[in-house]
Amino acid sequence: MTATQKLAQAGAGAEETRTLTLIQAVTEAMREELARDERVVVFGEDVGARGGVFLATAGLQAEFGKTRVFDTPLSEASIVGAAVGMAVRGMRPIAEIQFADYMGPGFDQIISQAAKIRYRSGGQFTAPMVIRTPSGGGVKGGHHHSQSPESYFAHTPGLKVVMPSTPYDAKGLLKAAVRGEDPVIYFEPKRLYRAAKGEVPTGDYTVEIGKGAVRREGRDLTIIGYGGVMPDAERAAAALAAEGVEAEVIDLRSLVPWDRELVLESVSRTGRAVLVSEAPRMANFMGEVAYVIQEELFDQLLSPVVQVAGFDIPYPYVQDKIYLPGPNRIAAACVQALNY
Amino acid sequence: MIQPFTSDPLRWVSEDGQPIRELPARFTPELLRELHRQMVRAREFDKKLVTLLRQGRTTFYAQASGMEATQVGLAHSLRVGHDWVWPYYRDHTLGLAMGVSMLDIVSQCLGTNSDLCRGRQMPHHFGVADKRFVSISSSIASQVPPAAGTAMAQKYLGTDEITVCTFGDGATSEGDWHAGLNMAGASGAPCLFVCENNQWAISTHLREQTASETIHIKAKAYGMPGYYVDGNDIVAVMEVMGHVAERVRAGEGPALVECLTYRIGSHSNADADAEKHYRTREEVAEWEARDPITRVERLLEHLGAPIDPQEIRDLVAATHREVDEAVLTAEATGQPGWEIMFEDVYGDKPVHLELQEDFLRAEQGTATTGGRA
Ligand SMILES: Cc1ncc(C[n+]2csc(CCOP(=O)(O)OP(=O)(O)O)c2C)c(N)n1
Repeated sequence: MTATQKLAQAGAGAEETRTLTLIQAVTEAMREELARDERVVVFGEDVGARGGVFLATAGLQAEFGKTRVFDTPLSEASIVGAAVGMAVRGMRPIAEIQFADYMGPGFDQIISQAAKIRYRSGGQFTAPMVIRTPSGGGVKGGHHHSQSPESYFAHTPGLKVVMPSTPYDAKGLLKAAVRGEDPVIYFEPKRLYRAAKGEVPTGDYTVEIGKGAVRREGRDLTIIGYGGVMPDAERAAAALAAEGVEAEVIDLRSLVPWDRELVLESVSRTGRAVLVSEAPRMANFMGEVAYVIQEELFDQLLSPVVQVAGFDIPYPYVQDKIYLPGPNRIAAACVQALNY
Repeated sequence: MIQPFTSDPLRWVSEDGQPIRELPARFTPELLRELHRQMVRAREFDKKLVTLLRQGRTTFYAQASGMEATQVGLAHSLRVGHDWVWPYYRDHTLGLAMGVSMLDIVSQCLGTNSDLCRGRQMPHHFGVADKRFVSISSSIASQVPPAAGTAMAQKYLGTDEITVCTFGDGATSEGDWHAGLNMAGASGAPCLFVCENNQWAISTHLREQTASETIHIKAKAYGMPGYYVDGNDIVAVMEVMGHVAERVRAGEGPALVECLTYRIGSHSNADADAEKHYRTREEVAEWEARDPITRVERLLEHLGAPIDPQEIRDLVAATHREVDEAVLTAEATGQPGWEIMFEDVYGDKPVHLELQEDFLRAEQGTATTGGRA
């Protein structure tokens, strides 16, 4: 498939569309899945009357009632564990963890139960479920409201890990996650909740988990990212274009599985890769992408793979903006790759 | 005389300010006025900080208005700077009453160079070592097992200190809460657990939080006494806390005290729409009528030592000035530079952090726009 075809595919869907924010797309995906399938329930802390602290579930309890959309006690272990139990019994739970930073108390249930029930039971018991959670920085939340813990989950076999950056993907990926057969950790980049706006089809559609999207075509190097950094990666590419450098921009959209084929095809053409994420650099998921690129394309690379990541520090409050890899830092990394 | 596991909250002063038990001799008009002063100061601090928030000078604030008797009463029941406190994020009134300076709290809220916690945490999460007031964590109930550990250390080291651990009603649903109480119970550690039951965890009411009739009865499962107190009656809070703290100090093991109170304001700035979405104006009004500050004013009237309204107005004005000065003083110290991002991550600085610091130094040195890279 050519990059042009992939671009077309990324934007494909039903004809009729309207502009939504990323969070509206998330809400709409849940509303439609609740309506489509009785086995779907939505629950978590404050998701009911309040509609979630970011209002992702606003209006859903009023529409579907308290048996379908409900508040839980303040216990992430209970929320995740209950979702596992419901899924094993044939339901399709969508559980909300109020902030990704609070997956900690539910961590054991995610890695010991959700991730392993299929394998340890020889496929007799499965846990098709979705854990939605806002993640990432840029909202002046300090370290307990800004972390990017996706690498912990990508490291655990049995979990799918998804992070959209556009309203179109947010809706399509969430629907795919609800309909799939596996536990999906669905990260929502909270700084894009209202900042990311885009066309979303009115009709039903899904976005396949495991497929990346080409956001911009280019021949000189490949920028690869996901989630909250994507708008900045595109800004960096636009700035480079003004200097005559054509950067290709790939949005991974899901980390597990990730689109090896798309990444390798692109980097084999451009010869250079710049990997962008805001999670701390140490044991960052992008290290896996870098490894595969060097393993598969060593002799086609024109420069070492460059990684732009968060610093290896707890997310700071005062330096919130300096911490994040903004467009200048991404563009500088591209220049570094080009000048090698 | 002070019994655990009562069906009604223990109370000394009725809602209209009449003593319903014999008022212990220490509650002289002087002491009551001092307690009143501290409660008013905390209430006004709340109002000023909400204003600061609206002005965009800080980004998060969780009010404790309505909970003054619980927090001020608790502060007066522990030995400040001697006993250890593992607080939660709504405890600035406790901090203020323990003598934490407004400058320290305001500095933390603004993330200035005068912040003892160095601008690392989100606002309203202070910590002050000389008060043994451990830095607040956002993660609900994560302070409970460490509090048990501090108490275990106190026992092991043979000190006469105790540990106080506070939390809201919502926190009692977390696994950490149960693990911490169980650990403290099993080890007989001198830990005083205090539930500031303001009945709401953001939009989730206690009735949706737990099927337990009350919080304090959960103590039974962990082998410790559970006390139930009217958290809007400062006399009751101090009497029970004093009694229970002595018990804990005497080596009789941990205890849980549940203070039944109410948060009059919103959970935080994020849900200013509380009354629209999850609770009624009537409910709030009902609890406003049980205001802990008014109760002390009525009690003082009853004792024939009423507070002159002018005195209260002066106190309000003085508090507002105090906050304004703290804000100016804090802001004048400036905000920490990027360099401190790399400090305090570890006791020493590993090489990968030095490399990242070098990277940022080069970037910031060449940055034309400053701020965002
Ligand atoms: C582990 C964890 N989960 C969720 C949150 C989000 N959150 C912040 S405050 C809060 C409610 C806490 O209620 P409670 O313990 O009753 O204390 P209150 O705020 O009422 O004083 C929640 C759910 C969090 N901070 N930590």
